[in-house]
Amino acid sequence: MPTPGDSPARGAGLDTRFRAWAELFRFGFDALIGALSPATYNSATRDVVARQIYFTAWQILPWFAAFIVVLSLVITSILAGTARRFGLYDYALELAVRALVLEAVPLLTAFFVALRTGAAIATEVSLMRIRGELTALERLGIDPMRLELIPRVIGGTVALLALTSVGVVTSLLCAHLVVTGFQPWSAHDAELERVVATVLSPGAMLTLWSKVLIFGLAVTVIPISEAMHAPRRMFHAPIAVLNGMVRLFFALMLVETVALALQYL
Amino acid sequence: MTAPSATERTDVKFVADRAQRLAVIAEQPQAGLVTEGLPLRANLSALENIALVPRYRRNLDETTSTGLAWRLLDRVGFTGCAMQRDPDLDHEERFVTKLLQAVLLDAPLILIDRPALLLPDTPYPAFLDRVLGALDGEFEHCTILDYAWNAPLYPPRASAISA
Repeated sequence: MPTPGDSPARGAGLDTRFRAWAELFRFGFDALIGALSPATYNSATRDVVARQIYFTAWQILPWFAAFIVVLSLVITSILAGTARRFGLYDYALELAVRALVLEAVPLLTAFFVALRTGAAIATEVSLMRIRGELTALERLGIDPMRLELIPRVIGGTVALLALTSVGVVTSLLCAHLVVTGFQPWSAHDAELERVVATVLSPGAMLTLWSKVLIFGLAVTVIPISEAMHAPRRMFHAPIAVLNGMVRLFFALMLVETVALALQYL
Repeated sequence: MTAPSATERTDVKFVADRAQRLAVIAEQPQAGLVTEGLPLRANLSALENIALVPRYRRNLDETTSTGLAWRLLDRVGFTGCAMQRDPDLDHEERFVTKLLQAVLLDAPLILIDRPALLLPDTPYPAFLDRVLGALDGEFEHCTILDYAWNAPLYPPRASAISA
């Protein structure tokens, strides 16, 4: 049976969620402005950006590339086999490029970076805030937003763009290899050019890279914002990480759905 | 006429309670504050923590800022902890790292808050004398902020003040 306290409690929950999203967008806007401002960059902040790119992209590049090769070979083989059975083999490459290059690789890369780097960033920022490290930096005349937060957003975004670029090129080459029967210099070369020109049109590329840019901002901005707005209690650190990752998952899926709608509807 | 020594640039301010202590800290928002409540960056070494201050504030390159930090660590005889991170530092090493951050802040005043809390295993008045003496000429003025009940630990000095 409903009690008099039920409605305000539900309202409060909705209000909390709304505020969290509002704070997230405010932080994202501030981070974007900071990233575009030359005043943000000095010797110390450039170092944090470089470290972020190193840990997010460079350190995992061989394993990531190997994963993309295996994934591309498996998915393209399945698509090519299915297409052959239905007498649509001529469309196999186009199908593979659409499924892999435009959709699967960018989304999987974003999830990969979110799980590896987003969770780590959320934990680190939570602990820095709870331990008072950010306050200590302020007392030393160091802006934590400029030294610790904006460089992580820039580094994470650049790293995701770089990893997606590697993934796109790798999956394209793998798809070509499978469809041409591992004879890449056969008559099918012209087919690859035609498919690339058709599928990767300027409009599709604009949608793809806009989506990847938003993915890049999301995998850093959402975990950081969640960590920055959690209560300063040690037991809230895992809750902040959990909330950040769940919010990030929904954001990535929402962006992907919107991009699909823009591309195909 | 000679410049004042580190001892002459240092005074001890005794406070009666927490409210008085916080009031003294609030009066000096620009001071380089060395206190338990302001931790080091946990994922940076002691050397990086110290070098971060000139690197960020004066936009010095890594080599120059690290060189500055190393020189100060060498002066106080604590280069052994340079590559260790906060959880691996003992109380003296952590204190020295925080103190050198404050020195490189180039603030007109360094405020050392509750040294008994920062250096629980050390006879700290003598330790502070030694470390601040080694940093002679590197700071303008230093105030040690301690509770009045610790006053007997300090040797008699002209510059002890009761707040």
